[in-house]
Amino acid sequence: MSNLTEIEPFGKGFVEAMGPELILFAGMLLLIIVPNLGQGTFRVPGTQLRLQWLLGGKRFELTSDPRLPAWLATLTLGGAFFNVLYTFSQGLDRVAIVSESGKQLLLINGFSRIFELIFFGALALAAFSSMNRLPVNGVGSKVSETELFNNRRQADFYILMVTCALGMSVVALAQDLFVLFIGLELASFSTYVLVAFLKESKVGVESGMKYFIVGSVASGVGLYGLSMLYLWAGSLQFDVLATAFATTSSTEMALPLIGIGFVLVGFGFKVSAAPFHFAAPDAYAGATSPVAGVLATASKAMGMIGLVRMLLIVAAPETGDGSAIWLACLGVLAAVTMTWGNLAALGSDNPKRMLAYSSVAHAGYMLAALTAVGAWNWDAAVSGDAGAAAVAVLTAVIFHLLVLVAFKLGAFLVLSILESEGDVSRLSSLGGLAKREPLLAVSMFIFMISLAGVPPMAGFLSKLLVIMGIVRVAVGDMGAELADGGIYALGDMHWVWWLALLMVLNSAISMFYYLRVGVVMFFDEPEEGREGPLPTGWQVRAAIFACVLTTLFIGVAGDAVLRLCEMAAQSLNYDW
Amino acid sequence: MQDWISLPLVGFPLISSLLLLAFVSKASESMRNKLSDPIRMACLVFSLVLLGITTGMFFQYFGDVSWEGIGFNQYEYSHRYTWIESLGIHWTVGLDALSFPMVWLTTFLLPVTIIATWNEKNGATYFPIVLAMGGALIGVFVALDLFMFYVFWELTLIPMFFLILMWGGADRKYASQKFFIYTFTASVVMLLGLITLYFFQDPGNPLDYAGSMTGRSFDIPTITQHALAENSNGNWYLGANIQKVLFAMLMLGFLVKLPAVPFHTWLPDAHVQAPTGGSMLLAGVMLKMGAYGMFRLPISLFPHALEYFQLALMIIGMVSLVWGAIVCLGQTNLKKMVAYSSVSHMGVILIGIATMQPMGWAAALFMMFAHGIISPMLFAVCGAFKHHYHSMEIGAMRGMAKHSPWIATSMMFAWMASLGLPLLAGFVAELMMFIALWYFIDANGWSVFWMVGPALVLAVTAAYYLWSMQRTIFEGGDETQPPASLHGEPVPDLASPEKLAMLILAAFTILFGVMPWIGLDMMHDWTKQIFDGLILPILGDFNGGI
Repeated sequence: MSNLTEIEPFGKGFVEAMGPELILFAGMLLLIIVPNLGQGTFRVPGTQLRLQWLLGGKRFELTSDPRLPAWLATLTLGGAFFNVLYTFSQGLDRVAIVSESGKQLLLINGFSRIFELIFFGALALAAFSSMNRLPVNGVGSKVSETELFNNRRQADFYILMVTCALGMSVVALAQDLFVLFIGLELASFSTYVLVAFLKESKVGVESGMKYFIVGSVASGVGLYGLSMLYLWAGSLQFDVLATAFATTSSTEMALPLIGIGFVLVGFGFKVSAAPFHFAAPDAYAGATSPVAGVLATASKAMGMIGLVRMLLIVAAPETGDGSAIWLACLGVLAAVTMTWGNLAALGSDNPKRMLAYSSVAHAGYMLAALTAVGAWNWDAAVSGDAGAAAVAVLTAVIFHLLVLVAFKLGAFLVLSILESEGDVSRLSSLGGLAKREPLLAVSMFIFMISLAGVPPMAGFLSKLLVIMGIVRVAVGDMGAELADGGIYALGDMHWVWWLALLMVLNSAISMFYYLRVGVVMFFDEPEEGREGPLPTGWQVRAAIFACVLTTLFIGVAGDAVLRLCEMAAQSLNYDW
Repeated sequence: MQDWISLPLVGFPLISSLLLLAFVSKASESMRNKLSDPIRMACLVFSLVLLGITTGMFFQYFGDVSWEGIGFNQYEYSHRYTWIESLGIHWTVGLDALSFPMVWLTTFLLPVTIIATWNEKNGATYFPIVLAMGGALIGVFVALDLFMFYVFWELTLIPMFFLILMWGGADRKYASQKFFIYTFTASVVMLLGLITLYFFQDPGNPLDYAGSMTGRSFDIPTITQHALAENSNGNWYLGANIQKVLFAMLMLGFLVKLPAVPFHTWLPDAHVQAPTGGSMLLAGVMLKMGAYGMFRLPISLFPHALEYFQLALMIIGMVSLVWGAIVCLGQTNLKKMVAYSSVSHMGVILIGIATMQPMGWAAALFMMFAHGIISPMLFAVCGAFKHHYHSMEIGAMRGMAKHSPWIATSMMFAWMASLGLPLLAGFVAELMMFIALWYFIDANGWSVFWMVGPALVLAVTAAYYLWSMQRTIFEGGDETQPPASLHGEPVPDLASPEKLAMLILAAFTILFGVMPWIGLDMMHDWTKQIFDGLILPILGDFNGGI
């Protein structure tokens, strides 16, 4: 337990509290300025005097290095990541940034910080491993899709990554729906451009446009819902909305429910939940692999924050019968999302589309977990098993999002290496990877079975936690009552148990397409033109091996990470 | 007493094989071929060390343990180490009369497999994977924590998947995926059952080794103890309906692994395509994981449900027994025939379990052990057959006895052992199963027609084995006919490592056939204990108990 410190923007303690964000901001400025440093001169008007003012002109050798922006972005994002880790190690303070009228705008606690870890970690890995995706000697005569990032555009790419991180961290911190939406839009617009960054390639622009149009429609719908909520409650503060929701009588529920529903469309698009997922496979397929990896991990976690805040804080499970008003609706969505994602992934031959659909399926698993939280009265939960169950489910969701960075992004990074020698739109482009570079093939296999949830990988532990959370909610206090002589049938368990069953069956379905990747890598011969050694580049390999080691380590000894996630889950609802 | 001894048994093969594989993966192609010999030697030595440890454990070299008379839910060499504290997950290991023979069997088969497949291609990666397979299998048998059990249960799939995919036959791509997905599907259902069981524990009742986040325990001895206390009060542990559902969910996972008809279809594909070493470990130990799991979890925890499902299990066992044998008759592929004979023999185990007699259970345990020695020999013969003749077809050649006496002799011995020749290990188990079944039918007033199936199968088994021998070994008189697939090359016989492996397997088949009490005593003591502790209290004046 720690007390809440309230500080005003730029007041005392602001710099310490907002450390990661300020690092990002400084890094963004550096990314804009440093690549432009050169021998530029400035003629004093009316004279022939030329002053050297270092901006523009012929660039210095160091500042024209195409790898410089990548290094800057990596250091910025990595610095923010380690700053967050440092605050965790120092025992986190709860700090709220309040407006002049005393309203909480941003709240820094375990929940927001752990999501920042996810965002910065994913983006730092993506930035670091994008470093090889550029011609070291400038754009040559043979311009292929992958040799496009020259120096100036390099800087744009990485600036967008940093702004994306900034927007995401605002989403994590926001205590006001409006602030949250500003952060969401900042991050979204960055990702729209990142997806369309390969403007010379047809598929890049098309997918960027598609992602942008669908995304802005979803955002627009969300904003419309936001305005309805404002109309209804007169404020967009989460705590005000939650109080209003709890006190509104059921006959007057229509307006807030429609508003919340519209807002959820916006977030549902971000987590790529069915039926809002249609743009996701195209966006992933068109974007460069590291960017697609960011979409599948950080961007998804960002949407999940919105869902958690709206569903569990604003439309919290009622104190009466204990179940939330959205319970059945979300349960159906979860079932449809996971099944749809898996069935669609079965039929896709494009590895990136397959990973996109698997991402949809994973969204379904997390929605199932959120459904389980809704089955309980979250308030009464402070004591007793019920509350612990809600926290356990939320812990599972956070843990899942956290470890997803390791094995989902890792899988995209492996594709990224293959992508720099040409198109990876067919599964056969992975053929013979085991012969070409055994360690990469083994890494990819580990990522695949981790996604499928095979022990001892981290993906198994996260899936186990989700299932455990759901089952715990479903079983409830029956164990204790059994000991008092109660007799139960299967039907006495809460129906969310069947979601757990559906989830394990879906895991079995997903095994088909994850295993297929392994078979292609270890069994098939390389495609024509891909027989030689893979493109070099130690950065992306280092990132991949970091992902593998994390996947294995958390899978085998995840206790510390698990406790961190539990702490984060508790801090969402309680005054931690 | 060195309680920690199970730790190196699991960790040593896994870690050493991972290191070897990591080392090999950095080597170039030519370097890898050079490395093949030292790595094979290293793996052989490592596996012999493991065998030495388990044999020493049997002879009480590592401390005074009593394998005989070991009680239900009592474990030797038990050791507990905190793993994931917040969920109540511990590295809990222990051995009893159920698991120890399986552990010994695994360590015994590892060196034999390595010797029998001495000249396997890409040895530098093959032998470490075999070693890893052994480590994962030992992990399954020593685990006394539900989480740990499941982790190793699934971990065994990965090395076996690669053994089939990388070293298998022509259709290995299909077979390896089918094997993985089929068993994975069953195990995730089992996993849900395990988790539901976990949360049905009463958190109000102080539990040993409970997780700090959940208040429940994954500890198998703790759960077994609670279940035993509850069941013997006359109550159904967790209530009647839940117990039945959980029993069914767990059994699904184990029946697929066993495999029992109708869940057996992955087995023939996996076996036919698997390399010899993979088949030997698959049939020798991996199938037994199913029977082992049945005893460890559903039977120990849910005896009421076992009684409820007794008829169903008996029918599944009978069908497996009969169906497996009849399908064998129609096979022209030698390895497929042997694979189906495994299904048939696993039916014996299931029938033994369904009798709910201490002797039936002891028969099941001994069958697990005996089949674990005999079936690797069957597959070693098949492998040699394939390796030397490039064909698996029964009847592709004649007069093997003339041109390849070693293969012919090994084949004849293995076939005879498998069909249950007296004085060989398989006979003991089958005989005990028959006695227990007779006794059960008589004592419970079941129809005598239940005996028809097993009796028929004795004849059918003899028929398909003898017939296949007649068509390969003997037919043709002096006119030997080498297989056409040899294209006129000279007919080879067994290489010396293969001969050695055959001799070892044959020797132990005879040893456990002539002196079955070496393993059987502790098994029967244990089943008697579990019967007295578990079944008698719930059934009252239950007719039976030999």
